[in-house]
Amino acid sequence: MTATATRTSAATAATLRATRRHRAVRAFTATTGLTAAVAALFVLTMMVGSFRLTAGEVVTSVLHLADNPSVDFVVRGLRLPTALSALTVGLALGASGTVFQQLLRNPLASPDFVGITSGASLAAVSGIVLFQVGGLTVCALALGGAIAAAVVMYLLAWRDGVSGYRFILIGIGVAVFFEGLTGYMLIKAELFEARQAMHWLTGSVGQASDDELKLLGGALVVLLPLAVLLSRKLRVLELGDDTARALGSRVEITRAALLATAVLLVALAVSVAGPIVFVALVAGPIANRLLGPATGGIAAAALVGAMLLLTADLVAVHLLPTPLPTGVVTGAVGAPYLLWLLATTNRRGAGG
Amino acid sequence: MSTSTVRARRALALGPGLAVLCAILALVAFLSITLGSRDIGLSDVLRALFGLDGDNSIEHTVTVDMRVPRTLLGIGVGAALGVAGTVLQGVTRNPLADTGIMGVNSGAAAFVVLAITVLGVRGVGVYIWFAFAGAIIATLLVYAIASLGREGATPVKLALAGAAVTAGMGSLTTGIEMTNVDALNELRFWQVGSLAGRYAPILSGVAPFLIIGLIASLACGRALNGLALGEDTARGLGQRVGLTRAAAFTIVAVLAGAATAACGPIVFVGLIVPHLARFICGPDYRWIMPYSMLLSPIVLLLADIVGRVVARPGELQVGVVLGVLGAPVFIGIVRYGRLSEA
Amino acid sequence: MSRLRAEGLTLGYDAEPIVRDLDVTVLDGKVTAIVGANACGKSTLLRGLARLLRPRAGNVLLDGKAMAGLSTLDVAKVLGLLPQSPLAPDGITVADLVSRGRYPHQGWFRTWNDRDHDAVARALDATGTADLVNRPLRQLSGGQRQRVWIAMALAQDTDLLLLDEPTTFLDINHQVELLRLLRTLNAQAGKTIVAVLHDINLASRYCDHIIAMADGAIVAEGAPRDVITAELIAKVFGLACVIVPDPVAGTPIIVPAD
Repeated sequence: MTATATRTSAATAATLRATRRHRAVRAFTATTGLTAAVAALFVLTMMVGSFRLTAGEVVTSVLHLADNPSVDFVVRGLRLPTALSALTVGLALGASGTVFQQLLRNPLASPDFVGITSGASLAAVSGIVLFQVGGLTVCALALGGAIAAAVVMYLLAWRDGVSGYRFILIGIGVAVFFEGLTGYMLIKAELFEARQAMHWLTGSVGQASDDELKLLGGALVVLLPLAVLLSRKLRVLELGDDTARALGSRVEITRAALLATAVLLVALAVSVAGPIVFVALVAGPIANRLLGPATGGIAAAALVGAMLLLTADLVAVHLLPTPLPTGVVTGAVGAPYLLWLLATTNRRGAGG
Repeated sequence: MSTSTVRARRALALGPGLAVLCAILALVAFLSITLGSRDIGLSDVLRALFGLDGDNSIEHTVTVDMRVPRTLLGIGVGAALGVAGTVLQGVTRNPLADTGIMGVNSGAAAFVVLAITVLGVRGVGVYIWFAFAGAIIATLLVYAIASLGREGATPVKLALAGAAVTAGMGSLTTGIEMTNVDALNELRFWQVGSLAGRYAPILSGVAPFLIIGLIASLACGRALNGLALGEDTARGLGQRVGLTRAAAFTIVAVLAGAATAACGPIVFVGLIVPHLARFICGPDYRWIMPYSMLLSPIVLLLADIVGRVVARPGELQVGVVLGVLGAPVFIGIVRYGRLSEA
Repeated sequence: MSRLRAEGLTLGYDAEPIVRDLDVTVLDGKVTAIVGANACGKSTLLRGLARLLRPRAGNVLLDGKAMAGLSTLDVAKVLGLLPQSPLAPDGITVADLVSRGRYPHQGWFRTWNDRDHDAVARALDATGTADLVNRPLRQLSGGQRQRVWIAMALAQDTDLLLLDEPTTFLDINHQVELLRLLRTLNAQAGKTIVAVLHDINLASRYCDHIIAMADGAIVAEGAPRDVITAELIAKVFGLACVIVPDPVAGTPIIVPAD
């Protein structure tokens, strides 16, 4: 009796090991593939344009391996800021979106839908319309607006703890409220300011200043690893508050830490590039379909976000007859891919 | 207290509640006809309606040609949006689902833009039909993509497919708008999302669809109750889950499509009123459905009246009023009310 | 000596307390059932014992120490709980879900090791779910799903295991199977088990100790044969009944009186 039990137990442990190894290999392959794709796209966006460059020229110039004034001017001066902005904003949106979705247990609960982005939009549009500010001030206003919206939502949703469902409903209400006010601002604005505000509301990666990029880049270096570290705690929170507590998780603190990380990421991204829709929403689901259901890889989602935004930027600036803001194209680039994934993974049955 | 007594007690309270809501709706409709940038007295309204005042008075024109159709449209569109939102949230089991995310608004807008740029069509009367077609096609496309695969259209897949179609169509619309000034100019009139300027011909065009959709929706409350328990349980109760979902989606497509075609995209009503109805009624869709059907037009008409009165002689958009006044009320209810999870 | 007990415990969600000034002792190495009518506070008590609810007054003591003062992770290594309706992320596989039960044994950076593998494998084998490891949870039957959840709680590898209505939504065959599983776990691994149960007959057949509750207070407790009486059932459930012995095990069975 005992002998058989030990034997089956060993066999089960072996199966488990194989399963884990398989998952680890899949996660590693997918993440490596994504990293390579992001790197390739990053270089590619700097190669194309009216002044064509080879991959070698771009890489040497970016890494300061050799000096060639004309190439350096195009790469470091003109194209690198945009490419860096697409890369960092994409990473931030992808990571933040998937944390929100897993934390609130809702595939639609990306920061665009629960009021964070609309807080940033209201603050930025008010600044543009009421005080005719521009540049860094708008960026700071958007950052403040997003964080303020998140804090307000958290406080409003707090009642002996924050339940995901209540947070979502409060988020909807806050989003509608801010959007109403933003709409009012746009109606009351003078034409010139209204156009400026509309432009900001579309979202674009091509207008980030060096300071903004440094801030976002620096924040990413801290926040992305933090999000990845916290994701283990997220795996437990996903099972519901009661189960998480029974497993020894300090639910409210963990949730607050994860929310704060995700909010900071999205707030910085929106302040640099404006409210670029859809990236935060789809990065997580796409990553899950590459890594396997319910894996919730934050690094992979961040990479998918970067890939989407780099592709969108490439399409928006170079493939269309007239250049468009990036925010216009993200949907056109990401939607077919997500639909294709939905259609194909489901056919095999285990898509989820 | 046993479940059956709870249910009986609830029915006792909710039945008369419906009558009260009907009365409120009548009152609000009356206010909607009399109040505005030009207030019209009761006697004038009655005289105008019964044709006692000669066709040429300003009161008559305002009442019969503008206020009455506008109010009727508000009632129809409000009810349609509220019910469509309720059905969608039920069928996707997602409190964030609304007609906007299921492709209705973006499909309608994309088709109007394409009609303008590709077919060279002009005129608000024609746009309505393109918008209607676009809304229905987008919604059905969402449903079709989500239904691929063995498990059919699960709530998660519906949500994601909806978001994807919405984003894709949105990109198409904005892209054309930004490159084609002509299209932008034409679309602006449709895209405001308002009851203003939408009069009799539009009302008579969409009315049949609204009426058919609303009647059909009342029949699916029971089916939604089953789905709310999860697919397995619903199947266990003998429900044909796939069929229910398909029927529900058709209703949503027709109702939201017609409403959006007539008035442009109006958020809030479809997103938030179902939650209000759920706070009042609890989880039973057989009650939630008629409550949303009455609450939504009340909310929409009130917002429309406020928009007309506050900014005299101009008007404030319904969306602005709903957001600024309606959202805080909703947040208060969520904050202090008791939550019954969808 | 008892590892888990409560003194003067008062619990509640809103203004009104649901459980008032209760003293409970969980017997070590026994299977205990908490029974009572709907809304009598049995789930609340279980949640309080598992420190999911902060006591309004009184204390829950684990190994003689107030649980409120202990680190949550340390408690989770000794005391496991399966809530009434746990949530699972969409598409999660059995292996993934059961593995998440190892959370309290892992630190910030510590990776998965052999002890974790063994614990998960033992949990899967004990619940007979080893063949399901690669299946998505959603595709399983209700009975299978419930066993997988119990496997997750077992992977936590605690001496004390609390279960909130583990037999709800299961058919009679699966209910019996699950209670037998609890007995086996108790007999082989010496686990102390407390379960909120609805079916008195099954509780009296498969549990060592019964705690009967009404209106947030304990009405009776003890071995099934001593506790289950017609008077108690009338008091707790308001049901007139006759008690007959179980033809197989001799434990008391309630049969509604006419």
